[in-house]
Amino acid sequence: MTDKNPLAVAKGHGHALLLLLIVSLIGLPLILPSATLATEILIFGLAALACNLLLGYTGLLSFGQGIFFGAGAYGAALLMIHLHWGMLGALVGAALFGALLALLVGALAIRRKGIYFVMLTLAFSQMAYFLAYTLSGWTGGDNGLLDVPRPNIEIAGHVLVDLADPRHFYAFVALLFLLIFAGALRVIRSPFGSTLMAIRENETRAAAIGYDIRHFKILVFMLSGAITGIAGALYAMLLHFAPLSNIDLMMSENILIMTIVGGTGSLFGSLLGAGAIVMLGDVLSELWPRWLMLLGVILILVVVFMRGGLWGGLADLVKRLQPSRALDAKTKETL
Amino acid sequence: MQRRTLLKAGLALGALGSLPFGAYRAFAEQPLTFYGLKSMSGPFASYGKYADMGSRLAIAEHPQLLGRPLKYKVIDTEGNAGKAVRKVQEAIGQDGARFFQGCTLSSSALAVSKEIHKAGGVFMTPVGADEITGKDCNSSTFRWSVPTYGAIRETLVPMIKLLPDAKRWYTITPQYVFGDALLDNARKVFAEKGIEHIGNSYHSLQEQEFSGYLTNAIAAKPDVLVLLNFGSQSSNALRQAVNFGIKERMKVLLVWSAGLDQFQELGSDVLEGVYLGAQYWHQVDTPLNRELVAATRKVYGINPNYPLAADYIGTRVMLEAIVKAGSLDGAAVSQALQDMRFQGPTGEELIRPGDHQVLKDYYLLRGKPQAQMRDEDDLAEVLSAGRSFVEVDHTGCALA
Repeated sequence: MTDKNPLAVAKGHGHALLLLLIVSLIGLPLILPSATLATEILIFGLAALACNLLLGYTGLLSFGQGIFFGAGAYGAALLMIHLHWGMLGALVGAALFGALLALLVGALAIRRKGIYFVMLTLAFSQMAYFLAYTLSGWTGGDNGLLDVPRPNIEIAGHVLVDLADPRHFYAFVALLFLLIFAGALRVIRSPFGSTLMAIRENETRAAAIGYDIRHFKILVFMLSGAITGIAGALYAMLLHFAPLSNIDLMMSENILIMTIVGGTGSLFGSLLGAGAIVMLGDVLSELWPRWLMLLGVILILVVVFMRGGLWGGLADLVKRLQPSRALDAKTKETL
Repeated sequence: MQRRTLLKAGLALGALGSLPFGAYRAFAEQPLTFYGLKSMSGPFASYGKYADMGSRLAIAEHPQLLGRPLKYKVIDTEGNAGKAVRKVQEAIGQDGARFFQGCTLSSSALAVSKEIHKAGGVFMTPVGADEITGKDCNSSTFRWSVPTYGAIRETLVPMIKLLPDAKRWYTITPQYVFGDALLDNARKVFAEKGIEHIGNSYHSLQEQEFSGYLTNAIAAKPDVLVLLNFGSQSSNALRQAVNFGIKERMKVLLVWSAGLDQFQELGSDVLEGVYLGAQYWHQVDTPLNRELVAATRKVYGINPNYPLAADYIGTRVMLEAIVKAGSLDGAAVSQALQDMRFQGPTGEELIRPGDHQVLKDYYLLRGKPQAQMRDEDDLAEVLSAGRSFVEVDHTGCALA
């Protein structure tokens, strides 16, 4: 029976997945033109991973991810600028900002389902944008928040890691990504994760079994908000700057596109999606000023012909090459 | 065996001996790369295209700089401040980039200027944000365009002189830092000249529908309507004002126009009789502008517009400063730029050492009726030109 249990199979593949991730994290700065680009991919990979917890595992299409990304960026920046918090404190602060805002948004938005839920997240997204735009004394308004520090990792005044070097900062972000990825993998393979998937598959049935649907949705919303907040904080530290665009609707759309292109219901797919979109932006913008149209075409092609996104496409390819060792659909989802 | 060893040693020594010479040659012939920050894609792609054309014209004037071939590389900022900063970081980190010119968005320019300053580079930009030569100024950054203070004074003051009976003025303002800066300066001029500011309508950064604000303006019955927005918002506001018949009821002033490309888009029907503030106008008769117009017509077959002229002169002045400094050291080039006088598109221009602001003219134009246009770009006449700049002590810049 154990061999047929998809979660048990997934557990074995979970180790392989972590190994694949470690290899990718080591290889990324070596194959890309710069550590800065690799860092940006990881940061958006984190944001897409957080979005995947909502969309891929719980079936919640949120246009509010930009709120948590922007809140993390502004929150961490303000803590570092005004209260002189260190790197780890600022990241914890960003996670808390993200989680608390997600609690606020989630508590109201999940009262509605389907299109009404989506509309509520859109409305919150617009509200957050205009709030950031209006509070220019704190956020810098349209000019953005400048002079965001990137503190070193220090213990008792001794610098352990100098993060001013882009390669060191990449290594730090990669380590964080690995830890958060492993944590997220553990969450989705826990009974909590199974419940989220049950909610996604049939909310009414999950409620009938006795699960408090709202409770689970709010918790996953907060988890997603916290991770997205960390991604926003890291982005502000990467750029030394928190632009207003961090919190606008376009940011939410970009995070969603990365999640869908990478593959909903696949944590590793989030990294693939972020990498594809960030690099495509760099490449396509060189080819054609209206490259966003090409991005739209790519999104349509992925949605129509590659329902599982890039990760699903890769999994299908592996399945064709190694039919005897193929993963079944359920197993793929749990990765 | 000994002979083979000897041959190997000889070859190795020969290679070692030739290394310094080879290395020197490689250094001497290594091109100097100049970086243009242009929004080649995304929402500001049309601006970036002309800005890039301007920089290329200036680069073509210097095939070599300090004995090294001059190479030009475009960084596409994608109209996105985050992307602009990341790409500049990459250029600095990977290629050792030091000399940058351009940027369309104020937010991009402000953030990029910090990165370039940290790397010891030099940056010249035409963006509108007053902070770039104000509280966020630094020793590496220079700005060509006239700030909000000068734009307001060089449009409102001459217009008040031209229209002595116009005593009631109404403003429409985008509610963010740039719009508020224009409005604050306009209020000071109104107070100083005894003008009654009968009302202001704020609109958001994303507004494209202005009928409500225009109706409020009509109800207030002003003598002059002042539009303090810019870009597509000012074009839409102006078009809708004309559709409302506002030109027949009052004078209209657009303080911060984008110049020729915006005028071409609006056409003479909309522009006729409208007062327009501009950083640059291709018909201005100055020695350098004559050269620029001729070169632009020859190479591109068009008249130069504001982004082309701004990025042409920005690039040209930086290259001249490198020659003047005789060095590729950022600090030396910055020093050479300070207090530099040069022939610019608006006449003789000067870089003020205290805040790195270029002192140049700002123009008040008026849209021509179609019957008076000599060619398709003869859309406006110059009514006045002048220079107004805040004293360095009041800019908030701590360079001095």
